Amino acid sequence: MDLISSKQQISSYIIDSQEEEIKRIALELHEGVGQNLYSILTGLQFVETGIKEPHMKNHLREMSLLIEKTIQEIRLLSVELHPPALTTLGLLPAVKNYIKLYTSTFGILVDLESDGDERPIPERKRIAVFRVCQEALVNIAKYADTSEVKMNFYWNENELKINIHDFGKGFQPVEPKDHTSSSGLAAMKERMYLTGGEFTISSKIGEGTSIQISLPF
Amino acid sequence: MTELNEHPAVIEICNQLKTLVSCDFVGLALQNVSGPDVRWHYAAGNLNDKYKRITVRFGKGVAGKIISSGSPMILENFPNEIIGKVTDHPIMLAENLISSYAVPLFFNGVPKGVLLVGKREAYTFTETEQKLVDESAHTLEHLLKAHIIL
Repeated sequence: MDLISSKQQISSYIIDSQEEEIKRIALELHEGVGQNLYSILTGLQFVETGIKEPHMKNHLREMSLLIEKTIQEIRLLSVELHPPALTTLGLLPAVKNYIKLYTSTFGILVDLESDGDERPIPERKRIAVFRVCQEALVNIAKYADTSEVKMNFYWNENELKINIHDFGKGFQPVEPKDHTSSSGLAAMKERMYLTGGEFTISSKIGEGTSIQISLPF
Repeated sequence: MTELNEHPAVIEICNQLKTLVSCDFVGLALQNVSGPDVRWHYAAGNLNDKYKRITVRFGKGVAGKIISSGSPMILENFPNEIIGKVTDHPIMLAENLISSYAVPLFFNGVPKGVLLVGKREAYTFTETEQKLVDESAHTLEHLLKAHIIL
Protein backbone atom coordinates (compact mmCIF):
# COMPACT_ATOMS: atom_id res chain seq x y z
CA MET A 1 0.00 0.00 0.00
CA ASP A 2 2.87 2.33 0.95
CA LEU A 3 4.66 1.40 -2.25
CA ILE A 4 1.59 2.38 -4.31
CA SER A 5 1.25 5.65 -2.45
CA SER A 6 4.95 6.38 -2.93
CA LYS A 7 4.70 5.64 -6.67
CA GLN A 8 1.75 8.01 -6.91
CA GLN A 9 3.70 10.72 -5.15
CA ILE A 10 6.60 10.24 -7.56
CA SER A 11 4.21 10.36 -10.56
CA SER A 12 2.63 13.56 -9.21
CA TYR A 13 6.06 15.10 -8.64
CA ILE A 14 7.21 14.28 -12.19
CA ILE A 15 3.99 15.64 -13.72
CA ASP A 16 4.13 18.84 -11.63
CA SER A 17 7.81 19.39 -12.53
CA GLN A 18 7.06 18.91 -16.23
CA GLU A 19 4.15 21.36 -16.06
CA GLU A 20 6.33 23.96 -14.32
CA GLU A 21 9.00 23.60 -17.00
CA ILE A 22 6.43 23.75 -19.83
CA LYS A 23 4.97 26.91 -18.27
CA ARG A 24 8.43 28.49 -18.03
CA ILE A 25 9.27 27.71 -21.69
CA ALA A 26 5.85 28.99 -22.84
CA LEU A 27 6.32 32.25 -20.95
CA GLU A 28 9.88 32.65 -22.21
CA LEU A 29 8.73 32.15 -25.81
CA HIS A 30 5.86 34.61 -25.46
CA GLU A 31 7.45 37.31 -23.34
CA GLY A 32 11.07 36.91 -24.45
CA VAL A 33 11.51 35.68 -28.04
CA GLY A 34 8.08 36.91 -29.17
CA GLN A 35 8.56 40.42 -27.78
CA ASN A 36 12.05 40.71 -29.33
CA LEU A 37 10.71 39.68 -32.73
CA TYR A 38 7.94 42.23 -32.39
CA SER A 39 10.53 44.95 -31.73
CA ILE A 40 12.42 43.87 -34.87
CA LEU A 41 9.18 43.97 -36.87
CA THR A 42 8.38 47.50 -35.69
CA GLY A 43 11.95 48.58 -36.54
CA LEU A 44 11.72 47.10 -40.04
CA GLN A 45 8.40 48.82 -40.68
CA PHE A 46 9.99 52.12 -39.61
CA VAL A 47 12.98 51.56 -41.93
CA GLU A 48 10.58 50.75 -44.78
CA THR A 49 8.98 54.22 -44.56
CA GLY A 50 12.36 55.85 -45.28
CA ILE A 51 13.22 53.70 -48.31
CA LYS A 52 12.43 54.91 -51.84
CA GLU A 53 13.65 52.05 -54.11
CA PRO A 54 10.68 49.80 -54.93
CA HIS A 55 12.71 46.55 -54.97
CA MET A 56 14.24 47.29 -51.55
CA LYS A 57 10.83 48.27 -50.20
CA ASN A 58 9.42 45.00 -51.51
CA HIS A 59 12.29 43.04 -49.98
CA LEU A 60 11.71 44.68 -46.60
CA ARG A 61 8.00 43.96 -46.81
CA GLU A 62 8.71 40.26 -47.41
CA MET A 63 11.08 40.22 -44.43
CA SER A 64 8.40 41.86 -42.27
CA LEU A 65 5.88 39.27 -43.39
CA LEU A 66 8.31 36.45 -42.52
CA ILE A 67 8.82 37.90 -39.04
CA GLU A 68 5.05 38.31 -38.68
CA LYS A 69 4.61 34.59 -39.53
CA THR A 70 7.32 33.65 -37.03
CA ILE A 71 5.71 35.77 -34.28
CA GLN A 72 2.39 34.10 -34.98
CA GLU A 73 3.95 30.62 -34.79
CA ILE A 74 5.80 31.47 -31.56
CA ARG A 75 2.54 32.73 -30.04
CA LEU A 76 0.65 29.58 -31.10
CA LEU A 77 3.45 27.35 -29.82
CA SER A 78 3.43 29.18 -26.49
CA VAL A 79 -0.36 28.93 -26.15
CA GLU A 80 -0.23 25.24 -27.11
CA LEU A 81 2.38 24.55 -24.45
CA HIS A 82 0.61 26.40 -21.67
CA PRO A 83 -2.46 28.55 -22.36
CA PRO A 84 -2.25 31.76 -20.30
CA ALA A 85 -6.04 31.69 -19.88
CA LEU A 86 -5.65 28.56 -17.75
CA THR A 87 -3.86 30.58 -15.10
CA THR A 88 -5.64 33.91 -15.48
CA LEU A 89 -9.23 33.10 -16.48
CA GLY A 90 -9.88 29.49 -15.50
CA LEU A 91 -10.58 26.09 -17.03
CA LEU A 92 -13.60 26.87 -19.21
CA PRO A 93 -12.14 29.96 -20.97
CA ALA A 94 -8.88 28.02 -21.52
CA VAL A 95 -10.78 25.11 -23.11
CA LYS A 96 -12.80 27.54 -25.26
CA ASN A 97 -9.56 29.16 -26.49
CA TYR A 98 -8.00 25.78 -27.17
CA ILE A 99 -11.04 24.71 -29.20
CA LYS A 100 -10.59 27.70 -31.52
CA LEU A 101 -6.96 26.70 -32.09
CA TYR A 102 -8.00 23.03 -32.46
CA THR A 103 -10.59 23.80 -35.15
CA SER A 104 -8.17 25.97 -37.12
CA THR A 105 -5.49 23.26 -36.85
CA PHE A 106 -7.50 20.12 -37.63
CA GLY A 107 -10.69 21.49 -39.18
CA ILE A 108 -12.84 19.62 -36.64
CA LEU A 109 -15.78 21.55 -35.19
CA VAL A 110 -16.33 21.31 -31.44
CA ASP A 111 -19.72 22.15 -29.98
CA LEU A 112 -19.10 23.13 -26.36
CA GLU A 113 -21.89 23.58 -23.82
CA SER A 114 -21.57 24.40 -20.15
CA ASP A 115 -24.35 23.87 -17.60
CA GLY A 116 -24.20 25.50 -14.18
CA ASP A 117 -21.84 28.12 -12.79
CA GLU A 118 -18.12 27.63 -13.22
CA ARG A 119 -16.46 27.03 -9.86
CA PRO A 120 -12.89 27.76 -8.86
CA ILE A 121 -10.55 24.77 -9.15
CA PRO A 122 -7.00 24.64 -7.72
CA GLU A 123 -4.41 25.24 -10.47
CA ARG A 124 -2.89 21.76 -10.28
CA LYS A 125 -6.27 20.09 -10.83
CA ARG A 126 -7.24 22.66 -13.46
CA ILE A 127 -4.10 21.82 -15.48
CA ALA A 128 -4.74 18.07 -15.14
CA VAL A 129 -8.32 18.34 -16.44
CA PHE A 130 -7.22 20.65 -19.26
CA ARG A 131 -4.45 18.24 -20.33
CA VAL A 132 -6.83 15.28 -20.35
CA CYS A 133 -9.35 17.23 -22.49
CA GLN A 134 -6.50 18.30 -24.79
CA GLU A 135 -5.26 14.71 -25.15
CA ALA A 136 -8.80 13.47 -25.82
CA LEU A 137 -9.29 16.03 -28.60
CA VAL A 138 -5.89 15.27 -30.16
CA ASN A 139 -6.74 11.54 -30.13
CA ILE A 140 -10.00 12.35 -31.93
CA ALA A 141 -8.04 14.24 -34.63
CA LYS A 142 -5.65 11.29 -34.99
CA TYR A 143 -7.98 8.31 -34.92
CA ALA A 144 -11.70 9.13 -34.95
CA ASP A 145 -12.13 10.21 -38.59
CA THR A 146 -14.80 12.76 -37.71
CA SER A 147 -15.68 16.38 -38.47
CA GLU A 148 -17.54 17.17 -35.27
CA VAL A 149 -17.22 16.74 -31.52
CA LYS A 150 -19.70 17.44 -28.74
CA MET A 151 -18.30 18.58 -25.40
CA ASN A 152 -20.42 19.15 -22.28
CA PHE A 153 -19.38 20.65 -18.95
CA TYR A 154 -21.71 20.06 -15.97
CA TRP A 155 -20.89 22.13 -12.89
CA ASN A 156 -22.60 20.67 -9.80
CA GLU A 157 -22.36 21.49 -6.11
CA ASN A 158 -19.77 18.83 -5.46
CA GLU A 159 -18.14 18.01 -8.76
CA LEU A 160 -17.40 18.90 -12.37
CA LYS A 161 -18.38 16.37 -15.02
CA ILE A 162 -17.18 16.57 -18.60
CA ASN A 163 -18.47 14.47 -21.49
CA ILE A 164 -16.64 14.40 -24.81
CA HIS A 165 -18.29 12.56 -27.68
CA ASP A 166 -16.93 12.32 -31.20
CA PHE A 167 -19.18 11.00 -33.93
CA GLY A 168 -16.35 9.05 -35.50
CA LYS A 169 -15.65 5.48 -36.46
CA GLY A 170 -15.21 4.22 -32.89
CA PHE A 171 -13.02 1.31 -31.85
CA GLN A 172 -13.06 -1.97 -30.03
CA PRO A 173 -11.84 -1.24 -26.49
CA VAL A 174 -8.80 -3.40 -25.66
CA GLU A 175 -8.09 -5.40 -22.53
CA PRO A 176 -6.28 -3.37 -19.83
CA LYS A 177 -3.24 -5.67 -20.13
CA ASP A 178 -2.68 -4.57 -23.73
CA HIS A 179 -0.47 -1.66 -22.70
CA THR A 180 1.05 -0.91 -26.09
CA SER A 181 -2.16 0.27 -27.74
CA SER A 182 -3.75 1.94 -24.73
CA SER A 183 -0.90 3.64 -22.85
CA GLY A 184 -2.25 7.10 -23.81
CA LEU A 185 -5.66 6.24 -22.37
CA ALA A 186 -4.05 4.73 -19.27
CA ALA A 187 -2.04 7.93 -18.76
CA MET A 188 -5.22 10.04 -18.99
CA LYS A 189 -6.92 7.76 -16.47
CA GLU A 190 -3.91 7.90 -14.12
CA ARG A 191 -3.73 11.69 -14.37
CA MET A 192 -7.36 12.06 -13.35
CA TYR A 193 -6.89 9.50 -10.58
CA LEU A 194 -3.94 11.46 -9.18
CA THR A 195 -6.14 14.56 -8.89
CA GLY A 196 -8.87 12.60 -7.09
CA GLY A 197 -11.06 12.39 -10.17
CA GLU A 198 -12.21 9.68 -12.56
CA PHE A 199 -11.89 8.92 -16.25
CA THR A 200 -13.95 6.46 -18.25
CA ILE A 201 -14.11 5.72 -21.96
CA SER A 202 -16.66 3.85 -24.02
CA SER A 203 -16.69 3.21 -27.72
CA LYS A 204 -18.69 1.34 -30.32
CA ILE A 205 -17.59 0.75 -33.88
CA GLY A 206 -19.54 3.02 -36.22
CA GLU A 207 -21.06 5.07 -33.40
CA GLY A 208 -18.11 7.00 -32.04
CA THR A 209 -16.30 7.26 -28.74
CA SER A 210 -17.33 8.91 -25.47
CA ILE A 211 -15.08 10.08 -22.67
CA GLN A 212 -16.40 10.97 -19.21
CA ILE A 213 -14.27 12.92 -16.78
CA SER A 214 -15.29 13.79 -13.25
CA LEU A 215 -13.52 15.95 -10.70
CA PRO A 216 -14.80 16.39 -7.14
CA PHE A 217 -14.38 19.85 -5.59
CA MET B 1 -7.47 36.47 -52.64
CA THR B 2 -10.92 36.41 -54.20
CA GLU B 3 -12.90 33.18 -54.01
CA LEU B 4 -11.64 30.45 -56.31
CA ASN B 5 -15.18 29.89 -57.57
CA GLU B 6 -14.53 33.04 -59.57
CA HIS B 7 -11.53 31.37 -61.22
CA PRO B 8 -12.84 28.31 -63.07
CA ALA B 9 -9.48 27.88 -64.83
CA VAL B 10 -7.79 27.24 -61.47
CA ILE B 11 -10.39 24.65 -60.50
CA GLU B 12 -10.07 23.04 -63.93
CA ILE B 13 -6.30 22.62 -63.52
CA CYS B 14 -6.68 20.97 -60.10
CA ASN B 15 -9.36 18.59 -61.40
CA GLN B 16 -7.29 17.74 -64.49
CA LEU B 17 -4.25 17.07 -62.32
CA LYS B 18 -6.23 14.61 -60.20
CA THR B 19 -7.09 12.63 -63.33
CA LEU B 20 -3.63 12.87 -64.89
CA VAL B 21 -1.80 11.70 -61.77
CA SER B 22 -4.54 9.20 -60.81
CA CYS B 23 -4.47 10.40 -57.24
CA ASP B 24 -7.23 10.55 -54.62
CA PHE B 25 -6.82 14.16 -53.53
CA VAL B 26 -5.59 17.49 -54.87
CA GLY B 27 -5.35 20.52 -52.58
CA LEU B 28 -4.41 24.12 -53.22
CA ALA B 29 -3.28 26.28 -50.31
CA LEU B 30 -2.64 30.01 -50.64
CA GLN B 31 -1.64 32.86 -48.43
CA ASN B 32 -4.51 35.12 -47.41
CA VAL B 33 -4.67 38.69 -48.69
CA SER B 34 -4.50 40.13 -45.20
CA GLY B 35 -2.07 38.69 -42.69
CA PRO B 36 0.34 35.80 -42.94
CA ASP B 37 -2.26 32.99 -42.72
CA VAL B 38 -2.18 30.26 -45.35
CA ARG B 39 -5.37 28.30 -45.96
CA TRP B 40 -6.56 25.50 -48.22
CA HIS B 41 -8.71 27.29 -50.79
CA TYR B 42 -9.60 24.41 -53.06
CA ALA B 43 -9.66 20.63 -52.93
CA ALA B 44 -10.64 17.87 -55.34
CA GLY B 45 -11.42 14.35 -54.15
CA ASN B 46 -11.92 15.52 -50.55
CA LEU B 47 -13.79 13.25 -48.09
CA ASN B 48 -15.09 16.14 -45.98
CA ASP B 49 -14.88 19.93 -45.67
CA LYS B 50 -12.28 20.00 -42.86
CA TYR B 51 -9.69 21.43 -45.26
CA LYS B 52 -11.73 24.66 -45.45
CA ARG B 53 -11.25 25.29 -41.73
CA ILE B 54 -7.56 24.35 -41.54
CA THR B 55 -5.08 27.19 -41.26
CA VAL B 56 -1.63 26.04 -42.32
CA ARG B 57 0.93 26.56 -39.55
CA PHE B 58 4.16 28.19 -40.73
CA GLY B 59 6.94 25.59 -40.75
CA LYS B 60 4.67 22.73 -39.69
CA GLY B 61 3.31 19.80 -41.68
CA VAL B 62 3.57 19.36 -45.42
CA ALA B 63 2.24 22.76 -46.48
CA GLY B 64 3.86 24.74 -43.64
CA LYS B 65 7.29 23.27 -44.34
CA ILE B 66 6.97 23.95 -48.06
CA ILE B 67 5.96 27.58 -47.46
CA SER B 68 8.87 28.10 -45.05
CA SER B 69 11.50 26.25 -47.12
CA GLY B 70 10.31 26.80 -50.70
CA SER B 71 11.14 23.16 -51.56
CA PRO B 72 8.92 20.26 -52.69
CA MET B 73 8.14 17.50 -50.23
CA ILE B 74 7.32 13.81 -50.55
CA LEU B 75 5.64 11.54 -48.03
CA GLU B 76 5.51 7.90 -49.09
CA ASN B 77 4.01 6.14 -46.10
CA PHE B 78 2.48 8.54 -43.54
CA PRO B 79 2.86 8.52 -40.55
CA ASN B 80 6.07 6.51 -40.91
CA GLU B 81 9.36 8.37 -41.26
CA ILE B 82 7.86 11.83 -40.77
CA ILE B 83 9.70 14.74 -39.19
CA GLY B 84 7.74 16.04 -36.21
CA LYS B 85 4.50 14.78 -34.73
CA VAL B 86 1.61 13.08 -36.54
CA THR B 87 -0.56 16.03 -35.49
CA ASP B 88 1.77 18.41 -37.33
CA HIS B 89 0.26 17.04 -40.57
CA PRO B 90 -3.44 17.97 -40.33
CA ILE B 91 -4.28 17.72 -44.03
CA MET B 92 -2.93 14.13 -44.10
CA LEU B 93 -5.07 13.27 -41.05
CA ALA B 94 -8.16 15.14 -42.27
CA GLU B 95 -8.16 13.38 -45.64
CA ASN B 96 -6.77 10.00 -44.52
CA LEU B 97 -3.83 10.46 -46.88
CA ILE B 98 -0.91 8.02 -46.70
CA SER B 99 1.27 9.42 -49.47
CA SER B 100 1.67 12.85 -50.98
CA TYR B 101 3.78 15.01 -53.23
CA ALA B 102 3.55 18.76 -52.74
CA VAL B 103 5.26 21.73 -54.36
CA PRO B 104 5.46 25.45 -53.55
CA LEU B 105 3.78 28.17 -55.59
CA PHE B 106 6.03 31.18 -55.97
CA PHE B 107 4.78 34.72 -56.32
CA ASN B 108 7.43 37.37 -56.87
CA GLY B 109 10.09 34.84 -55.89
CA VAL B 110 8.47 34.09 -52.53
CA PRO B 111 6.62 30.82 -51.70
CA LYS B 112 3.03 31.79 -50.93
CA GLY B 113 1.11 28.70 -51.87
CA VAL B 114 1.18 24.90 -52.03
CA LEU B 115 -0.16 22.43 -54.57
CA LEU B 116 -0.53 18.96 -53.08
CA VAL B 117 -1.49 15.63 -54.60
CA GLY B 118 -2.19 12.68 -52.33
CA LYS B 119 -3.23 9.05 -52.21
CA ARG B 120 -4.93 7.05 -49.47
CA GLU B 121 -2.36 4.28 -49.79
CA ALA B 122 1.42 4.00 -49.53
CA TYR B 123 2.86 5.14 -52.84
CA THR B 124 5.92 6.73 -54.43
CA PHE B 125 5.01 9.37 -57.00
CA THR B 126 7.02 8.76 -60.17
CA GLU B 127 9.21 11.41 -61.81
CA THR B 128 6.64 11.80 -64.60
CA GLU B 129 3.87 12.38 -62.03
CA GLN B 130 6.02 14.84 -60.12
CA LYS B 131 6.69 16.72 -63.36
CA LEU B 132 2.95 16.96 -64.03
CA VAL B 133 2.44 18.50 -60.58
CA ASP B 134 5.35 20.94 -61.15
CA GLU B 135 3.85 22.04 -64.48
CA SER B 136 0.40 22.54 -62.99
CA ALA B 137 1.97 24.60 -60.19
CA HIS B 138 3.66 26.89 -62.76
CA THR B 139 0.39 27.34 -64.63
CA LEU B 140 -1.40 28.18 -61.37
CA GLU B 141 1.31 30.71 -60.47
CA HIS B 142 0.57 32.58 -63.73
CA LEU B 143 -3.20 32.37 -63.30
CA LEU B 144 -3.17 33.53 -59.69
CA LYS B 145 -0.43 36.15 -59.98
CA ALA B 146 -2.88 39.05 -60.12
CA HIS B 147 -4.83 37.83 -57.12
CA ILE B 148 -2.00 37.49 -54.63
CA ILE B 149 -0.57 40.50 -52.84
CA LEU B 150 3.00 40.94 -54.03
